[in-house]
Amino acid sequence: MHKFTDRRASLSLLRRHVLAALVAGAGTVAFSPAVFAMAPKDTLVIGKPADPQTLDPAITIDNNDWTVTYPAYQRLMRYKQVDGKGSTEVEGDLAQSWKASPDNLTWTFKLRPGQKFADGATVDANAVKFSFDRLMKLKQGPSEAFPPHLQVTAVDPMTVQFKMEEPFAPFLYTLANDGASIVNPDVAKRGGDIKAYLSGHTAGSGPYRLVSWQKGQSLTLEPNPHYGGSHKPHLRKVVVKIVPEASSRRLQLQKGDLDVAEELPVDQLAALKKAPGVKVAEFPSLRVTYLYLNNKKGPLANVHLRRAVVDAIDYKGIIDGIMLKQARQTRGPIPQGMWGYDANLPMPAQNLKKAKEELAASGEGHPTLVLRYSTQDPNWEPIALTAQANLAAIGVKVKLEKLANATLRENLDKGNFDISVGNWSPDFADPYMFTSYWFDSSKGGLAGNRSFYSNPQVDTWLRKAATLSDQSQRVALYTKVQEQVTRDAAYVYLYQKNYQAGMRKDVKGFVFNPMLERVFNVADMTK
Amino acid sequence: MSWLPIVKKRLFSLVLVVIGVSLITFVISHLIPGDPARLIAGERATPAIVAHIRHQLGLDLPLYEQYWHYLVRLAHGDLGMSIRTHRPVLQDIRAFFPATLELALVALFLATLIGIPLGVLSAVYRNKTVDQVVRTISVTGISTPAFWLGLGLIVVFYGRLGWFPGGGRLDQGLAPPADITGFYLVDSLLTGNIPVFFNALKHIVLPAFTLGFVHLGIVARQIRSAMLEQLGEDYVRTARAFGLSRMTVVVHHALPNALIPSITVLGLALGDLLYGAVLTETVFGWPGMGAYVVESIQALDFPAVMGFAVVVSFVYVLLNLVIDLLYRWIDPRITGVS
Amino acid sequence: MAGVSVLVQGSWRDTLSRFAYQLKKSPMTMLGLGIIVVVLAAVAGAGWLAPYDPNQIGLVHRLAPPSAQHWFGTDEVGRDIFSRVLFGGRQSVGVGLFVAFASSIVGSAAGCFSGVMGGRVDSIVMRAMDVVLSVPSLVLTMALAAALGPSLFNAMLAITIVRIPFYVRLARGQTLGIREMAYVKAARTFGATRRHIVSWHIARNALSPIIVQTTLDIGNAILMAAALGFIGLGAQQPTAEWGAMVATGRNYLLDQWWYTVFPGFAILITAMGFNLLGDGVRDMLDPRLKVK
Repeated sequence: MHKFTDRRASLSLLRRHVLAALVAGAGTVAFSPAVFAMAPKDTLVIGKPADPQTLDPAITIDNNDWTVTYPAYQRLMRYKQVDGKGSTEVEGDLAQSWKASPDNLTWTFKLRPGQKFADGATVDANAVKFSFDRLMKLKQGPSEAFPPHLQVTAVDPMTVQFKMEEPFAPFLYTLANDGASIVNPDVAKRGGDIKAYLSGHTAGSGPYRLVSWQKGQSLTLEPNPHYGGSHKPHLRKVVVKIVPEASSRRLQLQKGDLDVAEELPVDQLAALKKAPGVKVAEFPSLRVTYLYLNNKKGPLANVHLRRAVVDAIDYKGIIDGIMLKQARQTRGPIPQGMWGYDANLPMPAQNLKKAKEELAASGEGHPTLVLRYSTQDPNWEPIALTAQANLAAIGVKVKLEKLANATLRENLDKGNFDISVGNWSPDFADPYMFTSYWFDSSKGGLAGNRSFYSNPQVDTWLRKAATLSDQSQRVALYTKVQEQVTRDAAYVYLYQKNYQAGMRKDVKGFVFNPMLERVFNVADMTK
Repeated sequence: MSWLPIVKKRLFSLVLVVIGVSLITFVISHLIPGDPARLIAGERATPAIVAHIRHQLGLDLPLYEQYWHYLVRLAHGDLGMSIRTHRPVLQDIRAFFPATLELALVALFLATLIGIPLGVLSAVYRNKTVDQVVRTISVTGISTPAFWLGLGLIVVFYGRLGWFPGGGRLDQGLAPPADITGFYLVDSLLTGNIPVFFNALKHIVLPAFTLGFVHLGIVARQIRSAMLEQLGEDYVRTARAFGLSRMTVVVHHALPNALIPSITVLGLALGDLLYGAVLTETVFGWPGMGAYVVESIQALDFPAVMGFAVVVSFVYVLLNLVIDLLYRWIDPRITGVS
Repeated sequence: MAGVSVLVQGSWRDTLSRFAYQLKKSPMTMLGLGIIVVVLAAVAGAGWLAPYDPNQIGLVHRLAPPSAQHWFGTDEVGRDIFSRVLFGGRQSVGVGLFVAFASSIVGSAAGCFSGVMGGRVDSIVMRAMDVVLSVPSLVLTMALAAALGPSLFNAMLAITIVRIPFYVRLARGQTLGIREMAYVKAARTFGATRRHIVSWHIARNALSPIIVQTTLDIGNAILMAAALGFIGLGAQQPTAEWGAMVATGRNYLLDQWWYTVFPGFAILITAMGFNLLGDGVRDMLDPRLKVK
């Protein structure tokens, strides 16, 4: 036992020392002043629930990533600010002037001089060509908004030309997309994989650039020293902090560890309004929530059953109870705030009597419907539960299935559902986003037409409207489309949500643009 | 030199295990319904774009071919590219693993620091009040859902009292220490960066405590039963008969012998901790492997999930080997074939 | 020869009376048993005890604090949390029991079989178990549950499959030890068949550590099911489940504390009851703890 006693003696001595050290350490920790980095006045701290996935503008389709990419890059066009509010109209950013050919197939842009990338290089037509060629060649999500086979030529260092095969009315608007960001062609000179580089770094000419990224923790942006644009940054630093727990995000906002807290549940925001030092920025948005009804297979292929569903839903209950009135009910596919909105459409309302009549007219008896959803949006589950209860009231049984988001999307794409819930927000400011995507039979599935609606007449109207340049003609066509699809009860329109973000009271200058949710115009903001 | 055969044997099973693990996770992750190409392309993408991405990722090859390519790359130490973060999986793991390991080790440290004395007390005063109290604490510990405890601690210690931060590893104003081991606590000491050390310490307390609280119970119980076994042995009675004080007997003689069988338990506890770390990391926003794996599974990121499984099982088998060797070293009575 | 236990000699009735006596000596075990009885009664009798239909939504009084009408308050669609905790217990406790018993029975049978067969079969089985045990159980459980589809049954299946190797190892170890014991060899010389040996001698004697482990596992299984429910891979809406309730309650933690506290507390109490019982059972059956 000798060996053990020696070792044991020394070990127990060691333990005593360790204990002492720990007590000392604990003392220091407990008694040190609660140094909570209340950020200095020239730093803005934004709290997000999840890390950005990739910062490559040609790949990212997630608004979560755009919080960082949008201020780091410039685009040919940008959204206007009208009366201090974000508008869906566009004006030139990198583009000083532009002209379309008479057949609308060729667009020529003259670039604004004096715009520079973060490394000092000049933004020229070559950069624009590089960015768009890369975007279309990579063929990832963002490229989808642009006309296929887009040809880009650099006519001279300050002039760039775009050629497309068919006229595309919303083209100018698409140039303000995150996907249309102009990337510094010098990234190609670095050697190595450009995609890998751009997924973790920025190479743009916007007011800010990414300085560091601790995955899962925070990203830091600092001003672009060579920025040549008109929105010169005021803040010396912008830190994006990753705080996955919603309650933590809210606590940190209240304590001043965060200046802005994104993605807080509606209930938390309602409570925040009463908290000192904090305000809730609220704006009507173009993000709509709606129910998909499978028009192609299953019991809902019957239009009467679909109408029964539309009539059974308790719209008021959802908006008042679930959304706490932070949403506006929608009366058709095109939401308020987007041109083409038709105020003459009837506002859907719960009418159980009419619902039962439609159910009887359908001849389907008392069917069972499968409602698939995920918790991507915390409001979907209560909506699903409400729909289940509403339909039970008219004798239709609804089976709820909560799926992982990836699985849900798979099912949506294949049409394996009867009812589902979804959100939709426009990529560019044109009613095309809410009509062609939702109703054109060629876009069936996850791409847009999630109800698999198919009506050849509607298809013709939609395709024509996409090529016309006269807005009033387009409005007429879209009105016809909306009337028809409402009669056909293709979807159940629920609401357009208010965009809300929690902010400290001293944060000024935030201008919300419905086209750019989760993007903060940090260049204009101060504390 | 008697360890050579056992080392060889273990290394062989290491290879077997890695292959087995990769096969299992490959099969299972491909069973999960969903298409990662579709997820990357985004909802609005046309089928052409989705197909293009799928081809790029090599997902349109037959399954056995995909697996074969994977094994070949694995042999070269290449775990593939994460579909979600577009970085090599090995790089992701190296970035996130130290955070989890640091958390697990601190949690284990806390658990043993408090658990061992409690276990000893509990054994020495068997069935008295002390024992009952300690057993209550132990049982509460192993019965508490870690995620619930973590949430509660945040609300109380951050929300109400403000003693500790509400999440993350470091205040956002501070730059992390130079990346030597990936452990903030170690690296900051190595570079003499004391303020960062204390800040990191403050951030790790709540999550480590949450994680460690469960294991506190396990450690205390294990020590208690091992101690009880020792205290019943003859040598203890002999030592007492010789007039050695109770304290000496317990701490200097019984405890070391009780610790030997406990090493295995402690080692395995590390494995359990890594498991528990997932939920704790989510609640505290701790940027570690746990959160990474959950997101990878949800995003159908096969290479990441498989890479994680392979690395962790590799470490696990290695750990078992080390523990076994340690066992043999400490107790020379154990010899021979496993 | 660990595990050769009290059950070797004597009849079942003897064992039972010994059990009852030891039970009285240990207040903690009695507490555990008491908790379990209350929980099981509450859960089984949920139909009579619950004041409301657990799935009855009422958007008007959502997120109401605990009151006389709603003892545990209401959730985000106005459902009574007390009723949901009662009914939810069926999922949570049911899972715990199912997983512990299923994995224990299947695993022990396989382990016994492997131990008795010996040779190649034994090697292969143990290798396979080693591999499965090396896969991080979390990944395996989650991936399995995700692959099979999120539902309570699949979660149970996933956790069960992951637990089986423990029992295989345990049972095999026991079997190997006992196989070598004198009396078994004696039985062989009497011409007893292998099957007889397995069922009669070995199974009875290997039983106690397995029983201990199973009882201890119940609490663990309940926690694991709650963890899966927390991630969203367990029982689906509108079915109540404790872990899922804590998960949804996270969003309301700061103002509507009751949503997370009550279901979480239910998990804690239930797991504790089973763990206390498991402890007591182990104290009684584990001969090593018999202080001389």
